[in-house]
Amino acid sequence: MSASPVLRVQGLSKSFQGVPVVQSIDLDVHKGQVVAMIGPSGCGKTTLLRCSAGLERPDRGFVELEGQPFGHERHGAEIRRQSPRQMDRMRPKVGMVFQQLNLWPHLSALDNVVKPQVVVLKRTRAEAAERARTLFTQLGLSAKADEYPYALSGGQRQRVAIARALALDPALLMFDEPTSALDPELVAEVLAMLRSLASGGMTMVIVTHEMNFAANVADRLILMGKGRIVEDRPARGSVK
Amino acid sequence: MTGFDFSLIADHSALLLTGAAMTVYVVIVSFVLAFGFGIVVALLSFLPGAVPRAFLSAYSIVLRSIPFIIVLFIVYYGLPFAGFHLSALLVGILALSFYKSAYYGEIIRAAIVALPRGQFESARAVGMSPRQAFVHVIAPQLVRGLLPPSTNMTLTLIKESSVLSTVTIGELTYQGMVMQGATYAPLECFAAVSGLYWALCAGTAWIAGRLERRAGLAQKAAIDRNPLAASFLSFERPKVRR
Amino acid sequence: MFEQAYLFSILPKLFSAAWVNLQIALLIAAISIVMAMLVTIVRTAKIGVVNGAFNFVASFVRGTPLLVQIFLCYYVLPSFGIDLEPLTAGVLAISLNSTVFLSETMRGGLQTIDPGQIEASLALGLRRSVIWHRVLLPQLLIRILPLLVNELTIIIKGTALLSVITVVEVMRTAQQLAAASFRPFESLLGAGLVFLVLNVFFILLASVLETRLQKRAT
Repeated sequence: MSASPVLRVQGLSKSFQGVPVVQSIDLDVHKGQVVAMIGPSGCGKTTLLRCSAGLERPDRGFVELEGQPFGHERHGAEIRRQSPRQMDRMRPKVGMVFQQLNLWPHLSALDNVVKPQVVVLKRTRAEAAERARTLFTQLGLSAKADEYPYALSGGQRQRVAIARALALDPALLMFDEPTSALDPELVAEVLAMLRSLASGGMTMVIVTHEMNFAANVADRLILMGKGRIVEDRPARGSVK
Repeated sequence: MTGFDFSLIADHSALLLTGAAMTVYVVIVSFVLAFGFGIVVALLSFLPGAVPRAFLSAYSIVLRSIPFIIVLFIVYYGLPFAGFHLSALLVGILALSFYKSAYYGEIIRAAIVALPRGQFESARAVGMSPRQAFVHVIAPQLVRGLLPPSTNMTLTLIKESSVLSTVTIGELTYQGMVMQGATYAPLECFAAVSGLYWALCAGTAWIAGRLERRAGLAQKAAIDRNPLAASFLSFERPKVRR
Repeated sequence: MFEQAYLFSILPKLFSAAWVNLQIALLIAAISIVMAMLVTIVRTAKIGVVNGAFNFVASFVRGTPLLVQIFLCYYVLPSFGIDLEPLTAGVLAISLNSTVFLSETMRGGLQTIDPGQIEASLALGLRRSVIWHRVLLPQLLIRILPLLVNELTIIIKGTALLSVITVVEVMRTAQQLAAASFRPFESLLGAGLVFLVLNVFFILLASVLETRLQKRAT
């Protein structure tokens, strides 16, 4: 493939208070791939995800989104930090679905999805609402558009969080432990949803510690341990 | 007892209403000052290290321990010591604002602490700038968290302002005493004064209620965030969030 | 000039006056707790007129300043033939205030009690009075203990207002000392210190109780 990878991570390292959490990671995620990152807690997978999403600055190394530097800028041979403003502009390219979802409790489900479109992408309210309603229909949330997050079930909240990320037309969708905040019986539901997103061609990186889940949803498995990639192989249950 | 003489109240209505207006004025100015100072105090308490938090605790414990009437007199007699010669009204407003700032500071701090974690980050993750995140995500939630306790505190502020009568500030209680001195009719005087305070408090509560309603489903959302509140205020079991 | 020596010299007098405030406050607290329990129990009987009357009184008490209520008890009650000593009038006013507040606190506390307990008690054939006495009140009082202690500090602060109706307590003593010495600032500062010492003890006690109870609850 000649096109740039959706996500390219090069030599990325990050330590917290002197403790290395992620060490010299290289990783390319190509368009349409569904990558599951698994490993024990504390192996650095969430930190890698957060660095890739521009929520943390790596100590060393680079992140590129669709060939564009994210978090740094090249000026000839010189490499500088990217300005916060430029990073804000890049961030919507990565849709992040947090472990705790972090829906905004003061806004209805629909407004949770409309607000970022209006504020960040400067869409009109009508455009944003139309986009949100389309996503809600796809995700089976139409009836819940006017509910507030507190009135939604765990699974519904997660779908709102996914809609919020998708509404910004990200190149890449990232999930941090999508099953850990849910009741076990909802895991199958999440799985089905991720699969349908994958079949729609969405590029996804999913951090999880559940091997079964990872094997079922992903077409590529990345095993992490002690801040490094230990294994990178195709997954058995590849959906395509 | 010779019955209730409404004409006495009517005759002194101008006096009483002047007093009520002064109370409203004092309360509004003190509220703005106390709340503003409370914001500063609350933000200071989030500075790193144990010292700022300890300072806020000490500050609030000291002010919560001493009756307002004594704080008022200390400020009243103390400012001249420090070389400030201010009018009784200004001294009263300063003392009341200073006294209440500790309480507002605690309320504001609590509202900030009660924000669900990750709200700022999720706003940043969709590409909002820090300023946008504050305006669109943090501030609306802060307002909801702040409204109910601030309303209570402001009702207390209205009531506590009556103590200013002891340093001859012409607010409602003071004018009631003036009327009582002129008429020797305590029943009518204090009935009128109480009624006006009652109306002021009810009016404030009404305005606050409207604001809360305008803030949407504030209370429900707040209950959901706070299982402790839910156990007091709701008849449904709080949703478990891990 | 600020006279430290004078401030120290009046502290013994102020502390002995504080004994008056403390005694009054404890008396008021005792009256209020008992009254609040009675009122709360009566309110749960859900008699429309009674609860309506309580709500009216509560709204009045919460909507008017304590100082005005003290004046009401002292200056107005005599017009109804009830002539009270300053101290009695003050105790009445503050007790009324605390009773209303505590009854609301208890209502909040009641909502935290598992309804299953009532069913179990009724199933065991306990009488209503026994359920209150043996099951509900003890739990309720323990649950609201930090709030009770907190209310005590509010009562103690309230006793300073009794100075305006000539009850000789800390504030009044400080004013008398100020008049005799022409040192009002030091005298009032002394009074402030006395209240600080008195209330810091109770405020710390309340926070200790609160953390204890929270630990027990988890």
